[in-house]
Amino acid sequence: MSQTLAPDAAAAAADAAPIVSVTGLGHVYPSREGPVHALADISLEVGQGKFVVIVGPSGCGKSSLLMMLAGLRHQSEGAILCDGRPMSDPDPDRVGVVFQEANLFPWLTAIENVAFPLALRKVPRAERQARAAAMLELVGLADARGRYPHELSGGMKQRVSIARGLVQNPKVLLMDEPFAALDEQTRMAMGEELLRIWSETGKTVVFVTHSLTEAVYLADEVLVMSARPGRIIDRVAVPLPRPRTYAMMASPVFGALRERIWQQIRASAR
Amino acid sequence: MNHAAVLAGRAVLAAALLGIWEALPRLGIADPELLPPFTVAAATALEMFARPSLRADLWVTTLELLAAVAIALPAGTLLGLLLAESERLARIFDPLIFFLFSIPKSIFLPMFILTMGIGFWQKVAFGVFSTVFIVLMSAAAAVRSVRPDHVFVARAFGASPVQIAWRVYLPSMLPILLEGLRLAVIFGFTAVLLAEMYASRTGMGHQIASWGENFMMDRLFAGVLLLSVIAIVVNETIRAVEARCGHWRQ
Amino acid sequence: MSPRAIRWTIIAGVLVLWEVLPRAGLVPVLFLPPLTTTLSVAVTEWRSYGAALAVTLSQVMVALLFAVGGGILVGAIVGGVARMRQVLLPVFSSLYAVPLVVLYPVFTAWFGIGSEAKIAFASVYGFFPTMLSTAAGIQTIDPNLMLTARSMGATPVQRLFRVILPAAIPTVLAGLRLGGALVIIGVVVAEMLISSAGIGYLITSSRTVLNSPHVFAGVLLVLLIAIGFDLAMRLLEKRCAAWSGAGRARPGASDVRPAEA
Repeated sequence: MSQTLAPDAAAAAADAAPIVSVTGLGHVYPSREGPVHALADISLEVGQGKFVVIVGPSGCGKSSLLMMLAGLRHQSEGAILCDGRPMSDPDPDRVGVVFQEANLFPWLTAIENVAFPLALRKVPRAERQARAAAMLELVGLADARGRYPHELSGGMKQRVSIARGLVQNPKVLLMDEPFAALDEQTRMAMGEELLRIWSETGKTVVFVTHSLTEAVYLADEVLVMSARPGRIIDRVAVPLPRPRTYAMMASPVFGALRERIWQQIRASAR
Repeated sequence: MNHAAVLAGRAVLAAALLGIWEALPRLGIADPELLPPFTVAAATALEMFARPSLRADLWVTTLELLAAVAIALPAGTLLGLLLAESERLARIFDPLIFFLFSIPKSIFLPMFILTMGIGFWQKVAFGVFSTVFIVLMSAAAAVRSVRPDHVFVARAFGASPVQIAWRVYLPSMLPILLEGLRLAVIFGFTAVLLAEMYASRTGMGHQIASWGENFMMDRLFAGVLLLSVIAIVVNETIRAVEARCGHWRQ
Repeated sequence: MSPRAIRWTIIAGVLVLWEVLPRAGLVPVLFLPPLTTTLSVAVTEWRSYGAALAVTLSQVMVALLFAVGGGILVGAIVGGVARMRQVLLPVFSSLYAVPLVVLYPVFTAWFGIGSEAKIAFASVYGFFPTMLSTAAGIQTIDPNLMLTARSMGATPVQRLFRVILPAAIPTVLAGLRLGGALVIIGVVVAEMLISSAGIGYLITSSRTVLNSPHVFAGVLLVLLIAIGFDLAMRLLEKRCAAWSGAGRARPGASDVRPAEA
């Protein structure tokens, strides 16, 4: 599993060449009341190993944008490059996805769920087991490998889902409001857990949420989107040091960043 | 797809099926002696319907069904309410009731004939036996579908027991009770017809069976058509009422 | 006394009454032959019952193939394709109200009173409920699971075999249980109405000569088969669906669909 632990040096060096780049992306879909402009003029770059969070008002198209990054939906204009190549279809070697609901297959055990993407790729059984077990260990669920989803708590399911998103060793992990269905305490714990996993694996993460606290706590950079048509109206770098702690949430810097994002969203939603 | 397209799709499908039924005997692909064309069956049905003898048979069948439902409905509802309200009774009888509910009823028909002969009340009794468990299960399910929170809310606003029964229990239970009634009617119809086909001197089931034995295919198909239309119309009517009473359910 | 003990006391009481009432002359033996008489008929006449059962069961097998195979196939298509579902599902559930038993005279007129008519009738009898329950089950497959599989780059074939089919197994098994019960009863009812062989025929011919013990023994046998099939299928469902949670809840409103009428 050594390649999953990217050395800090590599992450630093890659800042020049972004792993994800979106240029001039727009999306229009037809509806009964005529065409709807969902996304407009979106350009963004995500550097290797960065943690980028997208926030915005409900219905601004942030989840749609993420689905496009995953190759699950197609934009009407603009280009998405991931690792230098266009993203037109799902490609789990480049991009892993974690959804809001854990979406585990209820007929598979935790470890079988994690191994599922490898099974699709016809990876030999022994290797599948080993890699899935390593991922479960990474997310702290080594003991729950034989359990079925209905025997897991909400937080545990989401951990399995993260392990599954990482098992193919993708360059980028896309997360669509992964903790939105969890209660506040679990949510905080999962945020901390995610940061640990992120720092251990060195993955690039693009994370969508509607929680501003979560955004500032997790991100290197927060992209703020406007109401429909969704555009990026602000890019907020978060200068807080790593590793992040709960205590930082009470700091003036944290509060100021949160306030700035909130004002942007409020203004755009008017 | 919009509503009009769905309806058009269904109309085309129905027309195609009836067209095939009409065409097969007309084109000589099927023997018209065995499969009379749709128009012939429909015309025979209309002509038979005008005849008093057939109406008498239809009336006997209807009466048997109505009597069976009239007995099974209150009896089943009462037992269902008892079972749903009494934890102790439920713990004792639930498995037994569920067992009786799931075993096939038709197979008991010969026993009804041994004890009750082949008259009107034997068919009613068999109809009751075939439907009472459906009503019972529906009534119990209906009571259990009433959410305790709704009762708490009503009580918090000072509702009296009568008001709670009338304004919380009844509207919550009505859709499921109606569903039970609908199933009781369609399964009761089958039960009564089967009893008539098996051993009887009157009723639509008896006629259908004897037309079949005597190869009177025009009448047989006319009878099948007539009974199918009646069953579908009755079923859809109850379902429409159900939808009106249960529009708030998803 | 625990509810369980009371329940078994009641069952034992019914069995005792079944024996005592006719013996004491409180109920005519014609209406209710004593339990032991009924059982002894089943034992002493095992040859004729066995032969009749063999006929019935072989036809059940064939009809099961048509009814359940066809029902699951059509149900999967109707439930899985949105357009089909919108147009056809309400039509099929309307047709469900038609008392299918009136079709048996049509089949006997067409095919004679041999096995073909019975198989045709039982197939039609078992088809609709199997199809409707399969369609309903396929419909409830979580679309998010499909999206997830797609995000992992699953091909359409992989999605069918690794997502849709496993997700459909409980439904298919429930359809098999429901359809199987109907097919068994369909064959027996057909035999009771008009036929020349099988357990239903045996019951009816015993009834016409007022041989109650033979009727009761036959009915008991059919019940045992129906119940045995149901139990076996439930066991299978439980084993295959260990993942689906703590078994089935108590039957709710949507479960109120009896195996037959």
